[in-house]
Amino acid sequence: MGIDCRLTLIASKLLQPLEREAVLGDLVEAGESGWRGLFAVLGLWMRRQVDLWTNWRPWLAAFGLALPASFLLMGFSLSVSHAYQQWIRLGLFRLTGISVGSGFSLLLCNAVVLCGWAWTGGFVVGSVSRRTVWVSAALSLAPCLFCLERFRVESLSRFCLLLFLPPAVWGVRRGLQIACVRFGAALVLAAALTALSIPSWSSKGSWIPNWALSWPAWYLVATAQKPDWLTGGQRDAK
Amino acid sequence: MIGEFEYALITAAVRLGDAAYGAAIREEIAEVTGRTCSIGALYTTVDRLQTKGLIETWMGEATPQRGGRAKRMIRVTPKGAQAARAFYESVLRLSRGVAWETGSVS
Repeated sequence: MGIDCRLTLIASKLLQPLEREAVLGDLVEAGESGWRGLFAVLGLWMRRQVDLWTNWRPWLAAFGLALPASFLLMGFSLSVSHAYQQWIRLGLFRLTGISVGSGFSLLLCNAVVLCGWAWTGGFVVGSVSRRTVWVSAALSLAPCLFCLERFRVESLSRFCLLLFLPPAVWGVRRGLQIACVRFGAALVLAAALTALSIPSWSSKGSWIPNWALSWPAWYLVATAQKPDWLTGGQRDAK
Repeated sequence: MIGEFEYALITAAVRLGDAAYGAAIREEIAEVTGRTCSIGALYTTVDRLQTKGLIETWMGEATPQRGGRAKRMIRVTPKGAQAARAFYESVLRLSRGVAWETGSVS
């Protein structure tokens, strides 16, 4: 088997299994092996990708959420790391006998909000754009690499910027597995995240990034599996 | 209203009957129209027509001349036949009275 045929087989892995079967069979039958076959497979894959982007969902996930949210969450990760550092310092002061307020509640609150925002954002990206999730992931990681390269705070590790990534990746994974969450869970999550972010509303100009990161939680509420009492028993009627 | 290539695909599938599948439809279109049809254009159009309910597809049997790989069989639905007929009639109406030799309306 020549390198062109090998490449065609490798490229065909980009297609869905049944489509791969039909396309490779058609190529053999039409005698279009080699480079022509490779271009045919890649052409089909490209058309499929372009087709996906004729919908609003991938655009929303990639440019409306993944890209801006990664910048905002990096900033918030840094803020949480800074709060943690201050809490540790205050703890050391307390050990030496100097009485200072702990700041633990603020740290805990910020950490929960960070995890919640990252998880809900990741979930929406995963559920809204399943087949273009790799583009959203790339658009989310690009700012991370950019900021990691330029991070110049000596007291903090540059990896503090990436605190949001584990819950975000978990959220994406869950979003790919299940399309929507239960209404009650979504409502509690959205209300809790909004309530926990209220203290920061007093800071001038911070309500915009707050809402930019909070809307995925409310999107989950809007798209959640509604209980019977909310749908007026329509499910029973069916 | 369907497009020109959609019409060509539906017509080729109707002409082929039970033997309508990807490679055969490509060959039919190339033979009748004299224009080559890429696999990408064919299968994305097949999916679009299926979404519209104009055709049905299913996986057929594997044959030795295909390297043991299965075919994606295609059947035109009554709705698809109706759409193709509407396209054909609109082209006929549009062409009525046009003298192609002189490029004018007779």
